[in-house]
Amino acid sequence: MRIVDRLGQNLTIALDTLRAGKIRSALTILGVVIGVATVMAMAAIVQGIREQIVHTIEIAGPTTFYVIRYFSSTPVNPNRLPRDAKNRPDLIPEEAQRIASLPEIGYSAIWAQVFGRVEYQGIRTQQMTFMAADDRYTEIQGGELLEGRWFTRAELKSGTPVAVIDHDVARKLFGQANPLDKTVRLGGRPARVIGIYAPPENIFAPQGQQVGAIIPFLFADHAFVIDKINALFIAVKPRPGVTVAEAQDAVTVAMREIRALRPGQRNTFDMITQDQILDTFNKLTGVFFLVMIVLSGVALMVGGIGVMAIMMVSVTSRTREIGVRKALGATNADILLQFLVEASTLTGVGGIIGIIVGLGSGKLVTLAMSIQASPPLGLTLVAVGVSVGIGIAFGLLPAMRAARLDPIEALRYE
Amino acid sequence: MRNTDEYPISTTEEREAVVATAGAAPEEDWVIVTRGLKREYDMGGEVVRALRGVDLAIRRNEYVAIMGPSGSGKSTLMNLIGCLDTPNDGEYWLNGQLVSAMSDDQLARVRNKEIGFVFQTFNLLPRATALHNVELPLVYAGVPGEERRRRAEEALERVQLGARMLHKPNELSGGQRQRVAIARALVNRPSILLADEPTGNLDSTTSEEIMKVFEELADQGQTVIMVTHEPDIAAHARRVIVLRDGVIASDDKRSAFTQKVGL
Ligand SMILES: Nc1ncnc2c1ncn2[C@@H]1O[C@H](COP(=O)(O)OP(=O)(O)OP(=O)(O)O)[C@@H](O)[C@H]1O
Ligand SMILES: [Mg+2]
Repeated sequence: MRIVDRLGQNLTIALDTLRAGKIRSALTILGVVIGVATVMAMAAIVQGIREQIVHTIEIAGPTTFYVIRYFSSTPVNPNRLPRDAKNRPDLIPEEAQRIASLPEIGYSAIWAQVFGRVEYQGIRTQQMTFMAADDRYTEIQGGELLEGRWFTRAELKSGTPVAVIDHDVARKLFGQANPLDKTVRLGGRPARVIGIYAPPENIFAPQGQQVGAIIPFLFADHAFVIDKINALFIAVKPRPGVTVAEAQDAVTVAMREIRALRPGQRNTFDMITQDQILDTFNKLTGVFFLVMIVLSGVALMVGGIGVMAIMMVSVTSRTREIGVRKALGATNADILLQFLVEASTLTGVGGIIGIIVGLGSGKLVTLAMSIQASPPLGLTLVAVGVSVGIGIAFGLLPAMRAARLDPIEALRYE
Repeated sequence: MRNTDEYPISTTEEREAVVATAGAAPEEDWVIVTRGLKREYDMGGEVVRALRGVDLAIRRNEYVAIMGPSGSGKSTLMNLIGCLDTPNDGEYWLNGQLVSAMSDDQLARVRNKEIGFVFQTFNLLPRATALHNVELPLVYAGVPGEERRRRAEEALERVQLGARMLHKPNELSGGQRQRVAIARALVNRPSILLADEPTGNLDSTTSEEIMKVFEELADQGQTVIMVTHEPDIAAHARRVIVLRDGVIASDDKRSAFTQKVGL
């Protein structure tokens, strides 16, 4: 009870002191504000992106998985592949067909990503991704056909240069005009527009990776150069009621048979599930977070040293006050507590401002990326705790100096 | 108001008897007893002997003035009596407790409970209201908020500042500031009220006002010890001690003192 009362008193004194020196206080806590704001903003953004990915996976159906030549959490330089991966054969359409014929599998097709701008009569989009897939692409990835039609079997089989384009791209290139049956250029290659589709809502895609058009796989295969290591894969969706593990097992058996792998030989392909995608993202953001934490740690250190300097000045300029308090019966511990509370109030306020600024700018960024993010509330508490801790750690030295002052000398101080 | 004679002044014989036996705890009605109290300052090899063996005995309810030329050790003695400082040698008994052997925390507690200090320069916290300034000793005594406020208000009313409680020091006159300081010194009901030149920064009219406050407190039984330069201020006390070169030069009743200085 007594300690709570004492803390309350000290808090009042501390807030008074802060109010008395507003500019000085503001400069002091700038480092803490910046440190906390950076972490909070980054956390808000990463959290937003993560939620978006989870959301996307939910749309696509969490059971979809991909067979790829070589799995790595980062894009790999084709010339620097591990020896094992270099010797692996490329994926081929026949393998996708074989997988599709398995009883466990509902859908299987070979897909690729190629890149370029969409151009029509001199109007061009930015760099985009073209998904080389088939007529059931939206079944797997979500989204819907708004106008026109999907590819025919014949178009798929012969790799006809046709395209279903994104509705935003259509609006940009054609305005009010009807895009159907017009010939656009995809990365310089002519293709006839046969359909317009809308991607699923809120799909997050980084700049340059927005899907601008969907084209028949074989069109891409002969007209574009496909990066067969990073951008070629077989999308597989198990039949309803079949688990991902069962489906992966069946796919493994089929692939090994096709590739005539002997028992004991390692798989010459990898599989990646949605969970792994999420894992990979978490790993990437983990590294990112680590870097951010180190950087903001530096900002917090700088802030802490600022707090220490200002508290030293404060102790000196209030030497007389300390003397008076001691004369009235304050113990060394009372004085120590007073200055610790003051320092931690300073940094605590800095932390709260940092949280508001950080969450605010995080919100702005996520809004600009048009994704919805819920603020990282757990981290908020940690941030407040860390800020207060910084105040205590860096306020300790000045507070100890104040506590140890001799009452008479302090009273005599001019 | 009680009769002054209700509180008898200690006689020279009584004092000499109490001071004589070193190491013995004095009887209860002696608030302050010092025996051979010494305080020296080491100024880089040269030793300044501020107090050179002070034998002092003060009874409960006495009203004592300490005089003496500048540098005679008045403030040094007050700081020792007020437990702000510790002696190099000698004994100091306060309320039967041997203060000269206490730790820092014990001294802080004694300052809080037993001693009310009034300074020449008021020493109020500039950003705090009169009320908050007076509450401070109660904060360190751990008195809960509501009672603290009530007692601080009472103390301020006692020095006729009931109407100025929420003023800050810079919104008060010098005399009013000193009265806030007196209220602050009294709020913990200390056994002794110490004042080192309480009128040193005040004009003569205001000084008289403050002396009236002291007088009333003394009449109510408060033990008061004050340091002053001015004989007419000292003449308000009932007993006057004169220090010279760090020792007591004389210790008289008021009547003897006023006769000496020709007031
Ligand atoms: N902290 C200190 N360091 C060194 N010498 C000191 C210190 N405090 C006091 N002195 C010396 O001790 C002696 C007594 O000082 P003190 O302040 O007690 O005198 P005083 O009687 O109160 O004088 P005044 O009337 O001027 O206030 C003086 O010679 C002074 O210089
Ligand atoms: Mg003095």
